[in-house]
Amino acid sequence: MPPTPAVDARALVKSFKGRRALDLVTLTVAAGERVALLGPNGAGKTTTLLMLLGAVTPDSGTVEISGLRLPRHRSKAMLRVGFVAGYLPLPENLTVRESLELFAGFAGLRRRQARIDEAAEAFGLTELMSRRNQELSSGQRTLVSIVKAVLHRPALLILDEPTASLDPDIAARVRQAMLEAHRRDGTALLVTSHNMREVETLCERVVLLSQGRIVADGSAFEVASQFDVEDLESAFLAVAEAQRGPR
Amino acid sequence: MNLIRVGAVIRRHWLVLWRGPHRWFEVAFWPVMDAILWGSLGVYVSTAAGSANATVVALMLGGMTLFWTLTVVQMTVSLSVMDETNTRNLLNVLSTSVKPIEYLLGVAAFGLMKLTMTMTTITVMTTIIYGFALNSLGWNAIPIMLLLIVNGWALGFVILGLVLRFGPSAEILTWGLNYVMLAISGVFFPPSALPGGLGNVVRWLPTGLAFDAMRTIVRGEPAPAGTLWTAAGGSIVVLVLALAFCGWMLRVFRRRGFVTRYS
Repeated sequence: MPPTPAVDARALVKSFKGRRALDLVTLTVAAGERVALLGPNGAGKTTTLLMLLGAVTPDSGTVEISGLRLPRHRSKAMLRVGFVAGYLPLPENLTVRESLELFAGFAGLRRRQARIDEAAEAFGLTELMSRRNQELSSGQRTLVSIVKAVLHRPALLILDEPTASLDPDIAARVRQAMLEAHRRDGTALLVTSHNMREVETLCERVVLLSQGRIVADGSAFEVASQFDVEDLESAFLAVAEAQRGPR
Repeated sequence: MNLIRVGAVIRRHWLVLWRGPHRWFEVAFWPVMDAILWGSLGVYVSTAAGSANATVVALMLGGMTLFWTLTVVQMTVSLSVMDETNTRNLLNVLSTSVKPIEYLLGVAAFGLMKLTMTMTTITVMTTIIYGFALNSLGWNAIPIMLLLIVNGWALGFVILGLVLRFGPSAEILTWGLNYVMLAISGVFFPPSALPGGLGNVVRWLPTGLAFDAMRTIVRGEPAPAGTLWTAAGGSIVVLVLALAFCGWMLRVFRRRGFVTRYS
């Protein structure tokens, strides 16, 4: 029997004020798989991710996380998910340790300190533990966000633009952290990014969205081939051009 | 229900209070100002009437102290979700395994912690300045406080739901609703003193009944058990309705994708 997929979302439909944001999106992420969810702005990436988190309810369609159906089993399902968004700040006025303690508590972890120390060590954050969140650089904040998202050893790590607006060297460190989470616990990754090279390095499968529909699904090479272009970036540009329409 | 998660919610808001000096105004400064305002008004009114009357001062300070019970609990609950929205932490919380009921229980419990601090401040102040402490009402103060705590939670849950539904524009209710409750609950006067037929409309409010009971006790009469039981029944109904409303608003929030306002 194959392992339960980390994500099994079927026929998701969502409209906002009459505009169709998602149109019959079906997305599965196998256990331990690394998947990129790509698309131009407004393609429906974040809406899809928010549905997987149970923060937005689909008009129709179903979402299962590690076999747990949302919204009925949302709390249990979220124990299997970690979420990182490059655009979300960490709680103000808290030290890194306090933030991690807080999120470990939100996950209901009992032996929090040992888990926090172990994760901080693994991700090279030990020296930052007594610093306040607002004193951290963007890259350090993203690393802390990744650590807070993997404290409970989730089966799936959802990362929404984790390296947006980071310097290349810091972005590389963040990518290493994502891969570390994947390697350490076999965590599946579902990543959105506008950096195609990053996606090619990080993910083994690419799902391309446009205007709320999946227009390509496969390896970076397969997706590029589908659009008859050389690389993923060119495929992305072709989709973005088509979404904008004739000028 | 997971008590570790409830504890984490309490700790989250304790840290917001502990690290935010302006937040101590709610616990230590405004209650003191209110004590001075209403205590002095009571002394002045009773003196101007001919002779100093301790009952007038007790009515003013008793009303003020008990009204702070309602206010602190309500504001703690309402401000909790505003803290998450203002710091764009809401999605961070929503993406965890914390259940809505655990979150509400956490902020409700934190409301009690903050209430304990506020009541200590008020009691010390009113005892030193006016020789009045709420425990002069005896054990009867306890059921009245419990009624106001339950109603404070209920009001807080309603405002929390409205903030989820309407966003930052609903924040004004956090402070504004206190003034409405101050007027229609008859904190310093019986509902019959309200203009027109308003008194008849609001006389059955659980908060109004609680303050009515306080006035009866301050006058030296026995605690009106019937009034307190009626208020208790009404408070439970109000709390259940408030929780249902909050749940409804959360479903609307998720259905309409309002979380994107804060991400």
